[in-house]
Amino acid sequence: MRFVSLSVFYSKTEVATVETELLRDYHFGQQQLIEIWGHACAIAITKAFPLSSLSKKQPTLLVVCGPEQNGSIGLVCARHLRMFEYEPTIFYPKRSPQSLHQDFTVQCEKMDIPFLSYLPTEVQLLNDAYNLVIDAILGPETDHKEVKEPYAGMLVTLKQVKIPIVSVDVPSGCDVDEPAKDGINPEVLISLTAPKKCATGFSGKHFLAGRFLPYDIQKKYELNLPEFPGTECVIEL
Amino acid sequence: MLGVRALFGIGLLVTSRGGSVLTHTGACARIASNIYSKDLTHRQACTMADTIKYLGQEEAQHIDEELFDEYSFSVDQLMELAGLSCATAVSKGYPLQSLLKSPPRVLVICGPGNNGGDGLVCARHLKLFGYEPSVLYPKRPSKQLFQNLTTQCEKMDISFLTEMPEVQHKPQRSIPHRSHCRGARCFYFILHPYCVIPMYVYTIMYVCWDVENGCPDGIQPDMLISLTAPKKAANHFKGRYHFLGGRFVPPALEQKYQLNLPQYPGTDCVHQLN
Repeated sequence: MRFVSLSVFYSKTEVATVETELLRDYHFGQQQLIEIWGHACAIAITKAFPLSSLSKKQPTLLVVCGPEQNGSIGLVCARHLRMFEYEPTIFYPKRSPQSLHQDFTVQCEKMDIPFLSYLPTEVQLLNDAYNLVIDAILGPETDHKEVKEPYAGMLVTLKQVKIPIVSVDVPSGCDVDEPAKDGINPEVLISLTAPKKCATGFSGKHFLAGRFLPYDIQKKYELNLPEFPGTECVIEL
Repeated sequence: MLGVRALFGIGLLVTSRGGSVLTHTGACARIASNIYSKDLTHRQACTMADTIKYLGQEEAQHIDEELFDEYSFSVDQLMELAGLSCATAVSKGYPLQSLLKSPPRVLVICGPGNNGGDGLVCARHLKLFGYEPSVLYPKRPSKQLFQNLTTQCEKMDISFLTEMPEVQHKPQRSIPHRSHCRGARCFYFILHPYCVIPMYVYTIMYVCWDVENGCPDGIQPDMLISLTAPKKAANHFKGRYHFLGGRFVPPALEQKYQLNLPQYPGTDCVHQLN
């Protein structure tokens, strides 16, 4: 795994602008992008926590999915982790009404991935049942200042777990543009496409995942992304 | 203190079986662990006893239909994974540093159907991997998906040729171009190190292989990338590299059709069959 240092982190506004351009001008599809991100996330997780490194008898993990795009990325990630022989369980309390996001749910259900109906508040139960938690609750598209229920309560529970947390793109509860302080403090952060400002100074394991960004966009926003080795779609920062 | 069994037992477990919900205390943990251990046992049994299945055309079409209708996959989702598999297989069979010419040019010939779409995605990933693909896409379908994939390639500065380049027969190592055949999710790739003029190509014949019987007079590729599962025509394949790609087949579907897919290595999206 190559380690590279990065000096550019992008803001919430830039994230939104780039995504709009990808959809409107470059004609990427939203499901296509979510598939690319979810797949890359799963690969990053296998690098951070290889099957052989997991301490429990079964390679269980809990994927907690929020209602918007970040949650759907979590669903795709869970599906690929299942293909990679992990045993994910999903907690997805508020399902998106959009059909494109519903498809991701069906795909997971059809892979026989169990869905919990609620998240226990007894933290020890989570510590005992799972090797790690994937935080796919709130992404850069959400307003982190007003975290509504059930997510506020979930974040309180998750902040207390002793098992490692892996955050997808943005640690849930953190302001995208500020160095992280109030939200989840993950052991591993997987930045999608490019790291966000809140990743500045992140002291845990930090991966960049998702190798698809056209060179024009990289130049336009001066992203200075590192070179991915070979055919890898994940790089450790 | 509540144990792990009770953790699952408290909650409701929604399974994929028509969305049924299980509420019995203690049942859920056993069911969750049963789901996973049954699948793993089945896969272990398969790889030990059986060889991979080669599909007929009808079966391949049924599998595709189920993936879209029952498993709710979208075409663009699976096409992205299929195209990525193809690009990855190419880079394994023909690593950048092994190519004769610089820049490492590849010609991607895309047909009018889904296979052509796979080729477009593949071209895009090849560009990201450092190859220099050009695309020949003479008949572009009007469907939005294909137009989108074309735009994505164009915006990556992948050039689209307007006609087939001139070729010369040379008694050299065969490196003809990437080509697509009709048939359920199966296409034939051949790398073409095209330099301006002349081009060195072994055989170009626009005769498609029959999905089940192959075609002795058709293209004889050096590499075959079977997507989802190999087709019967692959029995006639005589090239150096046969890869399996398209790592998205749900375990239940694999069992239903007894595909006996091998275990892909690690997180690789391709598996070399020969």
